[in-house]
Amino acid sequence: MSTEKLALTTNSSARKPASAGGASNALAADLTRALGPRKVLSNLSERLNYRYDAIQFGATPLAVVLPESTEDVVAAVRASRAAGVPIVGRGAASGLSGGAAPLEPGLVISFTRMTRLTIHPERREATAQAGVVTLAVTEAAKPHGLIYPPDPASFRTSTIGGNLAENAGGPMCFKYGVSGDYVRALEFVDADGEVHRLTRDVFDLAGLLIGSEGTLGLITEATLRLIPPPKFTRTLMAHFPEVGACAEAVSRAIAAGAVPSKLEFMDRACTNAVEDYLHLGLPRDAEAVLLVDTDGEDLDTVQDELRLVEDACVASGGTVRRAATDDEGAQLWRARRSVSPALGRIRPQRMNEDIVVPRSALPDVVREIRALGDASPFRLVQFGHIGDGNLHPNILFDPRTEDAHAVHDLAHRIALVAIRHGGVLSGEHGIGSMKRDFMTDAVDPATMQALRGVKRALDPSGALNPGKILPAEEVMVDG
Amino acid sequence: MNNDIPVQALGGQGEVMAHAVDACVHCGFCLPACPTYALLGDEMDSPRGRIVLMKEVLEGGLPLADAAPHLDRCLGCQACVTACPSGVPYGELITAFRGWSEPQRQRSAFARSKRWAILKALPAPKLFSVAARVGQFAKPLAPVLPAALRGPLDLLPESVPAMQPSAKVTPARGVQRGRVAFLVGCAQQALAPNFNAATLRVLARNGIEVVIPDGQGCCGAAALHTGARDEALKLVRANLDAFNPDDFDAILSNAAGCGAGLKEYPMVLHGEPDETRAKAFAAKVMDISEYLNTLLQNGELEPPVPASRPLTVAYHDACHLAHAQGVRAAPRALLRAIPGVSVLEVPEGDLCCGSAGTYNLEQPELAGQLGARKAKNILSTTADLIASGNIGCHTQIQSHVRRQGSPTPVLHTIEILDRAYRGEL
Repeated sequence: MSTEKLALTTNSSARKPASAGGASNALAADLTRALGPRKVLSNLSERLNYRYDAIQFGATPLAVVLPESTEDVVAAVRASRAAGVPIVGRGAASGLSGGAAPLEPGLVISFTRMTRLTIHPERREATAQAGVVTLAVTEAAKPHGLIYPPDPASFRTSTIGGNLAENAGGPMCFKYGVSGDYVRALEFVDADGEVHRLTRDVFDLAGLLIGSEGTLGLITEATLRLIPPPKFTRTLMAHFPEVGACAEAVSRAIAAGAVPSKLEFMDRACTNAVEDYLHLGLPRDAEAVLLVDTDGEDLDTVQDELRLVEDACVASGGTVRRAATDDEGAQLWRARRSVSPALGRIRPQRMNEDIVVPRSALPDVVREIRALGDASPFRLVQFGHIGDGNLHPNILFDPRTEDAHAVHDLAHRIALVAIRHGGVLSGEHGIGSMKRDFMTDAVDPATMQALRGVKRALDPSGALNPGKILPAEEVMVDG
Repeated sequence: MNNDIPVQALGGQGEVMAHAVDACVHCGFCLPACPTYALLGDEMDSPRGRIVLMKEVLEGGLPLADAAPHLDRCLGCQACVTACPSGVPYGELITAFRGWSEPQRQRSAFARSKRWAILKALPAPKLFSVAARVGQFAKPLAPVLPAALRGPLDLLPESVPAMQPSAKVTPARGVQRGRVAFLVGCAQQALAPNFNAATLRVLARNGIEVVIPDGQGCCGAAALHTGARDEALKLVRANLDAFNPDDFDAILSNAAGCGAGLKEYPMVLHGEPDETRAKAFAAKVMDISEYLNTLLQNGELEPPVPASRPLTVAYHDACHLAHAQGVRAAPRALLRAIPGVSVLEVPEGDLCCGSAGTYNLEQPELAGQLGARKAKNILSTTADLIASGNIGCHTQIQSHVRRQGSPTPVLHTIEILDRAYRGEL
């Protein structure tokens, strides 16, 4: 079965083997000998759960290891290499591109118990093991007057290791950058089980590991840069009668010189899904809602910047509401963070896009995508970090009643809109298996060869997270 | 989450279960809310993990015995329900699943008799009271008893108070403003009779006539949540017979677990002839704090006497109030309505204290870890008083707070209000 069909049909992986439990294979037995029973999961009831990320499909692993140290990771990698099976690293598995879901039976290394975190306020740094939950870094840094800005929507759940593997962004990325921008050093275990410690001088190998979705190495620890939080933050919400007008307002505000810390957009279906969950009084009838934060050291500048955005919104036909209190602002941001899972209220499954386009192209792109959705039989919704040009068009569908191939086809056409406007396939969620087949549209053959060369150099036998990012190489058969 | 659950074969409860599985998008937002995930850090002991396990068992792909240990570790606290943006009714799923799977469970003779004893004693206040007294005599023997018996003994208070039967009708004082029915609860009558006495006094003082209808019994939550569905159905139907919702402005409970249980009746009877009756009943059910807060919001609450000195109260959100019933603001508002009282928030406030119905008795180790963590968090506030709205939490928190060497009083929210009215705060 083709990857895309697999990706869209929950129960399409081969029927699960029945089992009465117990270590069912030599790999699980070896791992248990090396690491002890507490760190190794081998019962079917345990392994079944490590098939999935938020995309809900995948192959049941042969064994799962829950390491507590880098040494445990090394032991696990060596055992799986000896057994000749692939290795998939996994954080909280909240990803939306299939990055942490194994495509074939092998070893899953789940980092959720590697949670050691140290704050070094004098260096403005944090040292975090891969399984540290993202929000925990900021919470630990706060008493020292510091924060860790990358804030993906899943930051209460997702882990630093997973964030770095996907190079996750978040609303703060417009002004403050994405996860990779905060990495000073990385520790990783390679495909042979060797431990490496990288800084970012000489070859920026750390940069290569970040965003590589576990295909080049397993990140075990990171040294992260912390910053003092801005003194003042102000929030506004604007709503628009048309999605393109919202994108116009964004372009206009940025052209006027505003550098908001967050610029987020959600369309009508998103607003309504969130409203069903949180009951905040969001404008249900608006076609697009824009959420904006400005922040900084000087309140007058922060207010001036907010005014620039407000003027841009009004000029584009929007209606503006400023958050009266910090609490109101926090509620609005909670609304934005909940968009993605709240869409589950509309349809049980979705194909999630993660395109990034030049900001100047935003109004055209959101309108074209809206038109594609309207012309299709599916519910299509859009939201995203619009300040960065990072949009998340989502196709909502019910796999029992709707055609998975048609969903995939629509996703492909959306990807092509992005590419046609000079955009890319992924801003923060990764390519995974979901967008792997679109890579040949987005990357020229010579670049693709370079990417394959990197993969071969670091993982010659292809053991690390196989089937992700790079499309299968065409095998030429002579006639 | 896509599934092949054979809904037709499973009837009304099958629909309840399949609907919940459908709604899960496996996003993981529930993970940080889950107490067992916080302790164990593995997927099978998280809400979305348990949903996968239940789905697999219902589809026939996984033997029940393989999934059971992880499902048994679920406290049923429903913190995941609060955290879930997709609206998965997880509580309904696990309750229905336990009812469906219990008849297929294979348990040891010891485990069976322990369950039997718990399910017999909990809904029978007199029997529970006798058992508690016997337990007190056994307390000094605790160190030499098996762990399974030590857990419940640890939780018994220093002294078991005398039972205080409540009057069938408590008239309103002054002008009558309303008329409510009251569920007296089971274990709490034996362990904390003052909860009900305080409740009746506070309601009467506010001009509310309180009726304790004959024939009422246990709400059935303990039986339902441990999978004893037939037992639970008997109790549910007895209460539907005892309470006529048309006769009262509201049906009140002062125990979060019981109140949540009463509100679950329509789910329990989904697809059955009594469903309509259950809906009418559940529509009238309120927690005591919700009811009094409506008086407060309407400016009708009798003003409490100011506290004799400024007092800080650490308010503990009982899972069955905050998560199962969504009642958070009301008890805080009532406490703040007492001049001189300020309410403190507890760190990790959403994390279950580990009491969770019969969990303390069935999973003493995890329950103990959670109890210790909760007590530490509460004591970190250095509050003068600790308040909660559930007998289970009350017992658990009191036991762990004492174990950590603190004499801080642990009271029901309504007891604090009652003390204020009596000028004793």
